[in-house]
Amino acid sequence: MDSQTALQTAEKLLEPYGMEMIRQDDLRLDVLLSPDQLHEAVKALHDARWGYLSAIAGVDHPAPCEDAVASGGIDQEKKGQVEVLYVFCQGAAVLTLRVKVPYTRAELPTVCDVIPSATLYERELMEMFGVEIRGTPVKDRLLLPDEWPEGVYPLRKTTMIGTACSSSKDEV
Amino acid sequence: MEAQKSGEKFVVPIGPQHPALKEPGHFEFTVDGEIVTGASVRLGYVHRGIEKGTEDRTWTQNIYLLERICGICSHVHATAYVLGVEKLAGVSAPPRAQAIRTVTAELERIHSHLLWLGVAAHEGGFDTLFMYSWRDRETVMDLLELISGNRVHYSANVLGGVKFDLDVDKMDAIRRGLDFLEERTHHYMKVVTTDETFLARTRGVGLMTREQAETLGAVGPTARASGVQRDIRIDAPYAAYPDFPVQLITDSGGDLLARFVVRLKELFECYRVIRAILDQIPEGELTTRVPRRIPAGETISRVEAPRGELFYYIKSNGGEKPERIKVRTPSLCNWGTVVSVAVGHKLADMPMLLAGIDPCFSCNDRMVRVNRDQSSQLWSWEDLRQYGIKYYR
Repeated sequence: MDSQTALQTAEKLLEPYGMEMIRQDDLRLDVLLSPDQLHEAVKALHDARWGYLSAIAGVDHPAPCEDAVASGGIDQEKKGQVEVLYVFCQGAAVLTLRVKVPYTRAELPTVCDVIPSATLYERELMEMFGVEIRGTPVKDRLLLPDEWPEGVYPLRKTTMIGTACSSSKDEV
Repeated sequence: MEAQKSGEKFVVPIGPQHPALKEPGHFEFTVDGEIVTGASVRLGYVHRGIEKGTEDRTWTQNIYLLERICGICSHVHATAYVLGVEKLAGVSAPPRAQAIRTVTAELERIHSHLLWLGVAAHEGGFDTLFMYSWRDRETVMDLLELISGNRVHYSANVLGGVKFDLDVDKMDAIRRGLDFLEERTHHYMKVVTTDETFLARTRGVGLMTREQAETLGAVGPTARASGVQRDIRIDAPYAAYPDFPVQLITDSGGDLLARFVVRLKELFECYRVIRAILDQIPEGELTTRVPRRIPAGETISRVEAPRGELFYYIKSNGGEKPERIKVRTPSLCNWGTVVSVAVGHKLADMPMLLAGIDPCFSCNDRMVRVNRDQSSQLWSWEDLRQYGIKYYR
């Protein structure tokens, strides 16, 4: 299957779930999903044996600075979002499932029941971005130190390097 | 570290400090007598916050930061990064630069595979093989030092090209080195496929079927040794691979032996591709201009590291620093295979199984306390290695 056919197949497979599909370039297809549809979409790809899960990447979208300042930081909590990219690859074709969750309800269903190898990626996402993964088999710390404070997510833009470390030292 | 009783089974903790792995990792093997019945992993002991660090550095500074993610496959990290940034900037490095990037990447693969051969042999108690393969590895280390000035972090890449050229003398030196290494690799291939004592430790050990490898998300030689046909150099060629294609090496064995055979066969492929590039290296510039601010956008860059697919997600907001860089290294994918494949094997097989996915060695020793019916023992990695060797004697 060449890359174009692969991406067309993916488009057909994901048509029932995707809110929007964007062809980034010749070899890349992005599919925007709502959190509820994520599991179904991943299952559809897996059942059709389309490619393999290459990575799960989190991207932080904090609320714009001016809004945050005006509301004294409250909007920062309300409006900030974490975008999660599930990247599937088949040959040279790259398919990205994009899901956005707000800070206030940062929850996604696990995909480990379909793709067991996702467990390490999901654990990383939980620790680094504070996205709660419902039903993931192991929730133990994978990367951060045992004494790392709860509720500090290092890869969120609002977490400044140094501040999280100093507070964790205080606790120890 | 205290071993805990888990039901009627015993948990043997391994790590985090031990020389078996590139990163200190903590494994817990649940054992029923001699047989491993479960395994789990805890990573992060050398988590350095590099992804966060990239957001605070310029596009150029990040080449050097990212190259230091790994001390063995350093060049491939920088290559994945610069290829991605060049794509975002809408430029591509000149053909000669791409060729030099590829030569350096393949020399790095040779050094990485030879290092692994020695390490894996050492874990099985075959120290003569270990010493010979590391002696020969010095040949390729010298070549890397000759062309770049460095043995480990070659700093070959800059945004838009490479830093050094290959002149005729250097190319001749590389060819001479490869001739020597090719002859040695034939010898190693003979040893690992015909030596009965060696085969006793590798044949049928750590069996992983193609389906398992795919489900567990294995990558690189570990996956290819189970017949998974996946190699980014072939699936999505980058740098000079479109002009100088490599052949896919797979093996249907799925055991430790197959992992040896696949990596050794890949060495022959490295020699062939480097020679092909040197014979027809394109003339021209070494660098092209890349703007200081990279246009806003995002890209995914994938390359084949010695251990498998290396994944970079790079996002720019149009400024002098990246908005987000995500790195997924091949070793992360392969942990899952160890944890699953370990089940059903003897504790004595663990050193070679761990080494089989090609993790790297630091030079620390490691202590493990094994509690058996209230009486405790202290075990180091060396003890476990010796235990494995004696078990099979």
